[in-house]
Amino acid sequence: MNLIDNTPSALTGVNDSLLSEIADRLGEFAQTGQSASIDLRSLPMSDADREDLKERLGHGEVMVKLDVAGLSEIWETSFAGVWWIRHFGGDDQIAAEEINIVSVPDILHAHQADARAAASRLSKIIQEERHHG
Amino acid sequence: MAEPKTLGQMLEARGISRRAFLKYTSYLASSMALGSVAAKAMAENLASARRQSVIWLSFQECTGCTESFTRSVSPTLEELIFDFISLDYHHTLQAASGEAAEEARHIAMRENKGKYVVVVDGSIPTKLDGAYSTIAGISNLQMLEETVKDAAAVIAVGTCAAYGGIPAAAPNPTGAVGVDQLVTDKAIINIPGCPPIPEAMTGTISYILSFGKLPELDHLKRPIAYFGDNIHDRCYRRPFYERGLFAKSFDDEGARKGWCLYEVGCKGPITYNACATLKWNGGISFPIQSGHGCLGCSEPNFWDKGGFYKPLPAPIRDIGKVAAGAAVAGAAAGVVSAAVGRAKKKSAMKEGKS
Amino acid sequence: MTDLLDFARGPALQFSLAVFVFGVVWRLVSLLFMPRLKDKSVKRSGAKPALIAAVAEFFRRMLPKPEFAKRTRFTTINGWVFHVGLTIIILAFAPHVLFFKSLTGLTWPALPNIVIFAVGGVTVVSLILALSHRLSSPVLKLISTLDDYVTWIVTITPVLTGLAAASHVGLRYETLLAIHILSICALFVWFPFGKLMHGFLVFLTRGEMGAQLNRRGIEL
Ligand code: SF4
Ligand code: SF4
Repeated sequence: MNLIDNTPSALTGVNDSLLSEIADRLGEFAQTGQSASIDLRSLPMSDADREDLKERLGHGEVMVKLDVAGLSEIWETSFAGVWWIRHFGGDDQIAAEEINIVSVPDILHAHQADARAAASRLSKIIQEERHHG
Repeated sequence: MAEPKTLGQMLEARGISRRAFLKYTSYLASSMALGSVAAKAMAENLASARRQSVIWLSFQECTGCTESFTRSVSPTLEELIFDFISLDYHHTLQAASGEAAEEARHIAMRENKGKYVVVVDGSIPTKLDGAYSTIAGISNLQMLEETVKDAAAVIAVGTCAAYGGIPAAAPNPTGAVGVDQLVTDKAIINIPGCPPIPEAMTGTISYILSFGKLPELDHLKRPIAYFGDNIHDRCYRRPFYERGLFAKSFDDEGARKGWCLYEVGCKGPITYNACATLKWNGGISFPIQSGHGCLGCSEPNFWDKGGFYKPLPAPIRDIGKVAAGAAVAGAAAGVVSAAVGRAKKKSAMKEGKS
Repeated sequence: MTDLLDFARGPALQFSLAVFVFGVVWRLVSLLFMPRLKDKSVKRSGAKPALIAAVAEFFRRMLPKPEFAKRTRFTTINGWVFHVGLTIIILAFAPHVLFFKSLTGLTWPALPNIVIFAVGGVTVVSLILALSHRLSSPVLKLISTLDDYVTWIVTITPVLTGLAAASHVGLRYETLLAIHILSICALFVWFPFGKLMHGFLVFLTRGEMGAQLNRRGIEL
């Protein structure tokens, strides 16, 4: 345990401007379909700020867990189109964290190349089963 | 060996999906403040890139930089870099040794002529023709010259390779210098730090791989994405600095309250690095957060700036003795000019009398 | 490899402080040992002891005589403003306190940066007013010498560069800090040989004047 806790733990007030930024981008997305992302890791946020933002945005209808080179969590906040994306790296540390304003975050789409690989794998399996059967 | 396959195809065979690419590049793009559009482009480019041949030369160093580079233990996101590059020579990490190791270096140089990247950690001693440090019977100086000749680019990782670092600290007995003082006709990127932040190394290499060009560099050849920020400007203790609240020692009230470390020698105001934003060990903490001032390790000459605990406004040379000497000399000069004045007056008075 | 800041914090400071100490001591010692005409007049009755007269004169001259007060109001107030301003900046800014501590071992509390910024701004304006007054008054302009202008420049430059360095505007901080320190080095070097020397001499000149006037029974 730390004897001295130097972690910045107080609310810095960054969330107020962050929320209005999100609102602006969401408005734009609703009108024009222009997606946007806000990188949370590069902002001078304290842990308390992060919790506070999470609470204020809330949870919506979608919650996804990904098992891709470590864990990732994605959820739609209580505001449709506003997604919270959290990637974990080694030692379960947060490696990247961002807000996406988009209909579906990119990483959830199956990539053409992955689909191609999957298709050939699947047909191979079927062939083999026929062979054995 | 030249890889015929793209990284995408290669990793696909191992069950690593494009999602992993995207996650990896999201993480790097965030560390470089590039945004998610760039992350997507990076992922696509990376998937269609070939595996990059890397020759890693370790000279006068402590292996701290390699440690930092290979820091994570479990197979994770951060380790994907080792799938993207082919570390064809690294005398600390490779299994082969002696002749076989040198052979591997020569093969890689031949087969990837003009395309391989040379990573250097450690400074290069230049005195006595480089005799202070040799590997397999040849001096670091020679090995650098020989290996860099057909390289596409050179990345100097760590302050030693970038500027000479600790081996070059006064009086620099081995005549240690950094890579860019010796190599003048190649693209060089410096990723200083003692050690450098792992993301700065992997991020820069991945950037080159996916965009096929060097990232934007500052006047000290450092990638701006990682070295564009001043520690002091990004430091969470800054409000204390502005209010004049300073820790006076490492165990006083101020230190306990997390006040600014300027008075105990913090070099944050003259240091450019990503410590205050990316932090260390996957974002856990960084020196200032742990209660110690910044040493300025990503700056040239950080070892010789008058001491780690000497505050920035303090002169770095001894003033007391020189000032005392000057005072004595000044007093002597004063007495002399007064005596000259008296003599002049006397003779003037005599003249006036006669 | 040494950069500008290392040069400023190292050889430049060392050299300029040596020149400063040498110059100040030289001028003071030669003044004190200067041959003086003995005042052969008889001391007036009722004259105060010389030391008291000297100290009294020093303070008396801090404010103008009432009959001149109106005419000299600007010079008096403005003079006070930048003298007090400079003193606060020099002595109460945290990095400066550290500078003195490193030289003398003595330390004292500092003021928050925001206060120093405000005082710095006022001081700059006041110094600029002083120069424009000098340039716009025909008499003052006539009696001004190169010394006056150099003194003005070496005084205002550290304030300006200091404000820039502390607020990180313009160049990179390490460059600004180096320039700031170098501008102070220039001030140190100029100090003993120009008008700035009044910082020391004012005590001697006013005191001497007070003692002499007092001896002759002149009441001001
Ligand atoms: S701790 Fe260092 S970097 Fe942080 S505000 Fe103080 S001087 Fe600046
Ligand atoms: S805080 Fe300063 S000394 Fe420490 S690692 Fe970062 S740049 Fe180097």
